[in-house]
Amino acid sequence: MSDEIDHDSPEFLNARREMDLLVAGSVSEKQAKPNVVFAKFADLIKSMPPTKDAVRWSRKNSLWPLQFGLACCAIELMDFGAARVDAERKGYLLFRATPRQCDVMLVAGWVTKSMVPEIKRLYEQMAEPRYVIAFGECATCGGPWWESYNIVRGIDQVLPVDVYVAGCPPRPENLFAALIKLQNKLGGEIEDR
Amino acid sequence: MPTRINIGPVHPSTHGVLRLVADVEGDTITNLEPHIGFLHRGVEKLVETRMYMQSPPYMEKLDYVAPLAMDDAYVATVEAALGIEVKERAMYVRLIQLELQRIASHLFFTGALCNDMGLMFTMFMWCFEDRDRVLDLLAQTTGQRMFYVSMRLGGVTLDLPPDFADNCNEFLDYMEKRLGAYENFMEKNPVFMERMKGVGVLTSQEAKDLGVTGPVLRASGVPYDVRKAKPYYVYDKLHFEVQTDNRGDNLARYRVRIMEIRESARLIREALRQIPEGDAKGMPVKLIGPAAKNRTVTVSRECPRGEAMMYMVADPQKPYRLSIRSPNFVNLSALPHMAKGHRLGDLFAIMGTLDLVMACVDR
Repeated sequence: MSDEIDHDSPEFLNARREMDLLVAGSVSEKQAKPNVVFAKFADLIKSMPPTKDAVRWSRKNSLWPLQFGLACCAIELMDFGAARVDAERKGYLLFRATPRQCDVMLVAGWVTKSMVPEIKRLYEQMAEPRYVIAFGECATCGGPWWESYNIVRGIDQVLPVDVYVAGCPPRPENLFAALIKLQNKLGGEIEDR
Repeated sequence: MPTRINIGPVHPSTHGVLRLVADVEGDTITNLEPHIGFLHRGVEKLVETRMYMQSPPYMEKLDYVAPLAMDDAYVATVEAALGIEVKERAMYVRLIQLELQRIASHLFFTGALCNDMGLMFTMFMWCFEDRDRVLDLLAQTTGQRMFYVSMRLGGVTLDLPPDFADNCNEFLDYMEKRLGAYENFMEKNPVFMERMKGVGVLTSQEAKDLGVTGPVLRASGVPYDVRKAKPYYVYDKLHFEVQTDNRGDNLARYRVRIMEIRESARLIREALRQIPEGDAKGMPVKLIGPAAKNRTVTVSRECPRGEAMMYMVADPQKPYRLSIRSPNFVNLSALPHMAKGHRLGDLFAIMGTLDLVMACVDR
């Protein structure tokens, strides 16, 4: 596809200028022409010099979470996707059932020893780059079950965690804050992983 | 030779981590085996190491869609073991909270069921929006959004706030109108009805034999409800009807739950009218409670998912043994019987109407 693009055409130069401005942050997403952002996005990413920034920008704004709930926190996770909190307005798109389409894994609930191999397998099936949010006390440190004989005390013993969310269970707004933290990280405000 | 298919333990429709192994001939299920234990954390053992009133947070996490119901079952067991009377106003406050919790739980069921059936997102959004309103009401009376820990020995943590009755009645008026919209949306949908009518039939004899309880039992035409059969709190002073349906299929189980939301609304309204003045505060949390040694008690409660029963051998400081009869565990054991002979796609509709919470199954 990229061979067909005329790199000197005014159309392309215009689109590229818009894209640069968008990435630099001087143009808000609303002001940018929709056809530039959406219709030719795949071609733009391939052929533009600030590839890293464009990829980073798009990665940051379309995080697809894995539909994977373990326990109580999964209920708040569902609430996070529902009408009141409305996660989609921040680019937190559809919850997908298959790990192969997902970027973020939310470990929502306590992790038992019998569940560890399954979680590892899901994580390995996700495409790079992949991120993990430890949602709630149980996934962070074992929570109220820290004394139990069948509990892994925190998912960070198994997977690398990007953001921890405190609470039992955290309110959906807390998850929103965690998401914004992750987005900041992807946007380069904190060093890229 | 049947084909063996593995479903789960991570599957969006299994409501938690449940693994099912299905033998299928073509598309028809000939045998189904649930494998459980992915959420097991040994609650019954942990409780033995805790003082009496340290345990309600553990109990709430058994059934996280209706935490208050399990909290209530546990605190009632402790009260029975220690011989503590509940204050009269506190009984009403608890009843109102429990019925609100039942509404929230059944709303969750409706939203999740429609997601399982492929009526993606409309019902889910509606139900969660309304469930959030119930959670707001519960937050007004308990101070928490999801895990309330509001039961104390002999009473509750916080009394009802002054404007609670108005807020509650306003919500119930709204909810009753809203239920009409729900029914309109679902029951006029041919796909929904096709997958509900006559699917997963459980006859009343089978239901009794398998020991299922709650809406699943009542949908098979058995009018058993702990609130009527062994009334606790002030259920015998209030008017409500046990909702039953004779068909025993998916549609019946869904209908019973929708009707129960209406009955709960009726109960709450009546309780708000009758609630006496007085004190509803429970005892402060004392870690060491006096108890008759080796006293055994059994208490059963009608949770939104069925009859929860707790058996406790009391010791002076801690429970010596606590055994929990989980309604979900028994209801799950009925799944293989119901799914046999149906198509694989219908399995998730049947499982959706059982309304399982896996944390309660595994304990």
